[in-house]
Amino acid sequence: MTFVERAVEADGFEIRYLEAGEGPPLVALHGAGGLRLTRAHELLAAAHRVIAFEVPGFGSSPVNERTQSLHELAHTMVQAVTALDIDRYSVWGQSFGGKLALWLAAEDSDRLDTLVLSSPAALIIDPGPLPPPEQMPSVLFAHPERQPSAAPLQHEIDAKQRALVGRLIGPPRDPELEEAMGALEVPTLVLFGTEDRLTPPELGRIYRELLPQCHFVIVYDAAHAIYADRPEAFAAIVADFLERRAEFVMRRESGLLYP
Amino acid sequence: MFSIVPYAGQHSGHGWPVPADGYSAEAAQESMERALAQFELADQLGFDWVTVAEHHYSAASLTPNPMVMAAAVAQRVKHAKIALLGSNIPIQNPVRVAEEFAMLDTLSGGRLIAGMLRGTSNEYATYGVNPAESRERFMEALELIVRAWTEPQPFGWLGRYYEYRTISIWPRPVQTPHPPIFMSISSPEAAEFAAAKRISGGLAVTTLDRARESVRVYREAAGAHGWEPAPEQLLYRIAVHVAESDALAREDWAPFAGAHGHAGGLRLSTGNPAADEAAARAGYYGRDTPRQRSRLHAGGDIDERIESAQLMLGSPETVLGQVDRLRGELGVGILELIFIAPRPDAARRSLELFGTRVLPRMREL
Repeated sequence: MTFVERAVEADGFEIRYLEAGEGPPLVALHGAGGLRLTRAHELLAAAHRVIAFEVPGFGSSPVNERTQSLHELAHTMVQAVTALDIDRYSVWGQSFGGKLALWLAAEDSDRLDTLVLSSPAALIIDPGPLPPPEQMPSVLFAHPERQPSAAPLQHEIDAKQRALVGRLIGPPRDPELEEAMGALEVPTLVLFGTEDRLTPPELGRIYRELLPQCHFVIVYDAAHAIYADRPEAFAAIVADFLERRAEFVMRRESGLLYP
Repeated sequence: MFSIVPYAGQHSGHGWPVPADGYSAEAAQESMERALAQFELADQLGFDWVTVAEHHYSAASLTPNPMVMAAAVAQRVKHAKIALLGSNIPIQNPVRVAEEFAMLDTLSGGRLIAGMLRGTSNEYATYGVNPAESRERFMEALELIVRAWTEPQPFGWLGRYYEYRTISIWPRPVQTPHPPIFMSISSPEAAEFAAAKRISGGLAVTTLDRARESVRVYREAAGAHGWEPAPEQLLYRIAVHVAESDALAREDWAPFAGAHGHAGGLRLSTGNPAADEAAARAGYYGRDTPRQRSRLHAGGDIDERIESAQLMLGSPETVLGQVDRLRGELGVGILELIFIAPRPDAARRSLELFGTRVLPRMREL
């Protein structure tokens, strides 16, 4: 599956995105580390039109000093979706992108089919400072040695992204967001990894309590970057949820051994 | 006190699985009743624990589902904790295991000790699970069971070997955060995993030298993870026979003297060499295969068995000394005793002698 790079004008920003696949649109919102394609993106593109945006202020985009909150940023991203002429769609948000996805869902719930939050950083009980770049692999991955080698983030980009995330992430518990979550009727899948030290899986129960239609899944032997640690499992359950929503609790595969 | 709940009748098989021709339902009922009475007596004598185990397709043990036996035990044993060592979790449905353990903890008023084991190699033939996957299944299942006990909201599990889209077990365990877990620490892989997860360690079907090495690996790994196992987190299972005097005890035990292996000749993994060989080749025993497999073939005469801590035997005084030695050598806080004697009355007397003349003094050691 080959992703093509494109850009779209929205809300005064030029927003870069990577796209592949055909089918119902799935908008992917990356984490604090910026946009990076993984095997999970490719697997999801088998049955979906995957649109992985680069949020303004990340990667090679100019420093974003205009956006003042995640709520505002969500508004920008909704316009980007509209500019792509997309009617109904689903959103997958990772970590920082998970919190952004929740704001987006609150803003655009009428057009949203499903919401997928992997290791979302929307409700952090004990927000420590992000570890330095050289320690990130051991925090992101349960098995860093299994990850394809990637060039480390350039220092300026890393600093720019960290500053933006720090400015926009908001309070660990945000009453305004939580109120919006309580009113969100979109079927939502929330995933946490058993080895995640940044957003431990115990957080999942709070999403269950707040979101009216929340399915909480614990992913074994995955750290913060579930989609990179367990790409096949992650893509399979996400694709199944996007297709079947609450019905995904029922197994469809036959258990018949021999006819 | 541990009972494997052996079949009391005659049977034809020395291999595994054991055929059921000549099976006597009366003998099986008698076996279970005898075990329940033994557990009851141990409870009355003040033993801290009674234990059942999981083994399949064999006259050596009539508790293929130890959960069922433990539920019966819970009705008879009023004070002692009720341990299951184990559930062989890699061959079970782990959610079902979590549910059954939670039921038992509720039925027993929080007296459950939840042992989780891989089982002997032959168990993998029982339900058709590949022994090569035993350890990975074990690690995943254990983590899933703990989650199922402790997670207050319904959750799905996306594992490598197990996938459930929604789990929310009822009842929940009585003990918080959950019942104590014991696992085998015989192999270095198991000792390291238990140390990493702060799980209590058990040693069975082993000898003093082998156990010393297992405990060393366990303690060292625990240290690396920043903790130290307390004596009550280390269990050693051993056969015992007490009589009024050393001479009488030896006389009682004479019929077993030549028996093969542990506990007077259990034929489980050793009862099916082809299956055991296949399991070994698949990597079931791990990086320490020769030593792990050799555990099954320990044995020796009475003195060798006593010396290598496969057996405690003698007068109450003598056995007390053997208990003291074992605790000193290994630092184990829990001795899980199998009362083995050729005749039921001798076994009963042995249990009484231990309970009245060894147990009270053990607590003073």
